[in-house]
Amino acid sequence: MITFEGAAKHYPDGTVAVAGLDLTVESGRTTVFVGPSGSGKTTSLRMVNRMVEPTSGKVLVDGRDVRSQNPAQLRRSIGYVIQQAGLFPHRTVRDNIATVPLLLGRGRGRARARAAELMDLVGLEPSQAKRYPHQLSGGQQQRVGVARALAADPPVLLMDEPFSAVDPVVRTGLQDELLRLQAELRKTVVLVTHDIDEAVRVGDRIAVFRPGGELAQYDTPERLLTHPVDDFVESFIGYDRGVRRLAFFPANHLSLREDVVLDDQDTVERALNTVDTAGEPWALVVDQRRLPLGWVAADRLRREPSGVELGRLDLTAYGHTFDVERDSLRAALDAAVLSPAGRAVGVDGDGRVLGVVSQADLGGAIWSVSG
Amino acid sequence: MDVLNELVAWFSDPGQWSGPDGIPVRTAEHVQYSLLGLLVAALIAVPVGLLTGHTGVGGFATASLANFARALPTIGVLFLIVLAAGIGLVPVVTALVALAVPPILVNTHEGVRQVDPALKDAALGMGMRGGQVLLRLELPVAVPLVVNGLRTAAVQVVATATIAAYVGVGGLGRYIVDGQARQDLTMMLGGSVLVVLLAVVTTLLFAGLSRLLVAPGLRSLAAAHR
Ligand SMILES: Nc1ncnc2c1ncn2[C@@H]1O[C@H](COP(=O)(O)OP(=O)(O)OP(=O)(O)O)[C@@H](O)[C@H]1O
Ligand SMILES: [Mg+2]
Repeated sequence: MITFEGAAKHYPDGTVAVAGLDLTVESGRTTVFVGPSGSGKTTSLRMVNRMVEPTSGKVLVDGRDVRSQNPAQLRRSIGYVIQQAGLFPHRTVRDNIATVPLLLGRGRGRARARAAELMDLVGLEPSQAKRYPHQLSGGQQQRVGVARALAADPPVLLMDEPFSAVDPVVRTGLQDELLRLQAELRKTVVLVTHDIDEAVRVGDRIAVFRPGGELAQYDTPERLLTHPVDDFVESFIGYDRGVRRLAFFPANHLSLREDVVLDDQDTVERALNTVDTAGEPWALVVDQRRLPLGWVAADRLRREPSGVELGRLDLTAYGHTFDVERDSLRAALDAAVLSPAGRAVGVDGDGRVLGVVSQADLGGAIWSVSG
Repeated sequence: MDVLNELVAWFSDPGQWSGPDGIPVRTAEHVQYSLLGLLVAALIAVPVGLLTGHTGVGGFATASLANFARALPTIGVLFLIVLAAGIGLVPVVTALVALAVPPILVNTHEGVRQVDPALKDAALGMGMRGGQVLLRLELPVAVPLVVNGLRTAAVQVVATATIAAYVGVGGLGRYIVDGQARQDLTMMLGGSVLVVLLAVVTTLLFAGLSRLLVAPGLRSLAAAHR
């Protein structure tokens, strides 16, 4: 647990970087500091490992004032990941990762063995051990940065905009990786970012900072999106917060239609009967194991010979599916919007079709949760 | 063409290659003064440059001192020291040290200064102490510039060590000074050719040294930026 008690940083030139922060970061969770540029996120983060000393107030790690410990020793027990990774250009990937174990006096052999373990943990190939940082992609460099911070197995991990230097696709991958690692390692992570989407994705708790180094709101992602405390927070989290919020509602309350799901051995005649009765413009065709094959439009059925089996027709691609038990309303909405039929295909854990939902039905469900 | 023939004759004379004023002995003397001057200069300038670069303290003083020293005429320094300390090896080496310190000092200082602040931040943030940051990060990253400074200094020292002859000691400068006294143009020319050759060899040696000392990661990085 990390506790900020009235921690403030005033610079001699009059800048108030942090105005007096009171905040408790829970152990084993990911806490995100988010806010506009210059709002004191980095300064607050760096108070934890004494890279910045507060001008008043204090910071405690597990109840102990960080100032009671020697800075170098304290920092060896706290992982630190910075923007652009900050890897040493003259050292191989392996030796970069081994930095802290070597500082702690572990022998070179043990330190390198540990580095190899960590490379595996963060998804780097063993063949990259002897490469130099500039021979890696930006995403790989960030992985090395994370591995280096974890090398001495510190209970606390500080990350200052760790993914901001890579492109959005790589960033999403790295965020997933962090979530996976965190599920396994349960570190106390404090992560700084500008990006509210990143905060919502990786954070268990989010602290929103406002200019002047003040804490505007400290809440779970869901509370933050549903109950922003003021106009500043509301505009910071953005006007599409409504869509983001859908990520917190499960898709399993949606009513799925099963009547327009047809077997590939059904005939065109049978299908026409079904869509006309249901009053639906599209039907979904599935195979014998109920795996989706594709959509067929009612207009199209009228032009085909009535005896033909549906499996013999050219079907329209069904696009993305959503997992009814595990996905959120946001995933279902995504699937519907991206589908050529304007309908989303709901599947079970094995990918078998449970039913379909139209945008109109989705709209109703969204309406009912957003009141 | 006459000059060239006489030069070839001068070099081919077996008498030139033996005895206390033969080419091998004179070259050895020359190398000895140069090495001594360079070594003493490096022992002073590298640590001072590392320290001023690391702390950022004395950066301005370093640069000013280096500029001042660069403006000094070496021969003037030599005669001043001879007046103070008398004739011999000491004034020669002292003058060479004065010449060699500025390029080594400035390059070392700059080499450490130009290490990316984000890297220093990462090093401190991982729990390195000041000295560890200097030895494990700043020095290895500064090596290319340090070697560069040493090379510049070495070439200057080799060229300038000829002044030793003015104060009665040996080295390749003897051919130039004695040749001048005897109005022997060929001898002066022979001496100059030897000094130039030695300077070329020095440059080559430092190219090799830099391959040896610069971390492979930095070398491939520099190659990638080319
Ligand atoms: N050494 C310093 N001297 C004076 N002011 C400083 C110093 N370091 C930081 N500041 C100021 O303190 C304020 C907070 O800086 P900080 O780096 O914590 O912001 P941040 O929220 O991390 O911003 P960003 O998102 O741009 O990284 C800024 O206004 C900054 O200019
Ligand atoms: Mg910052």
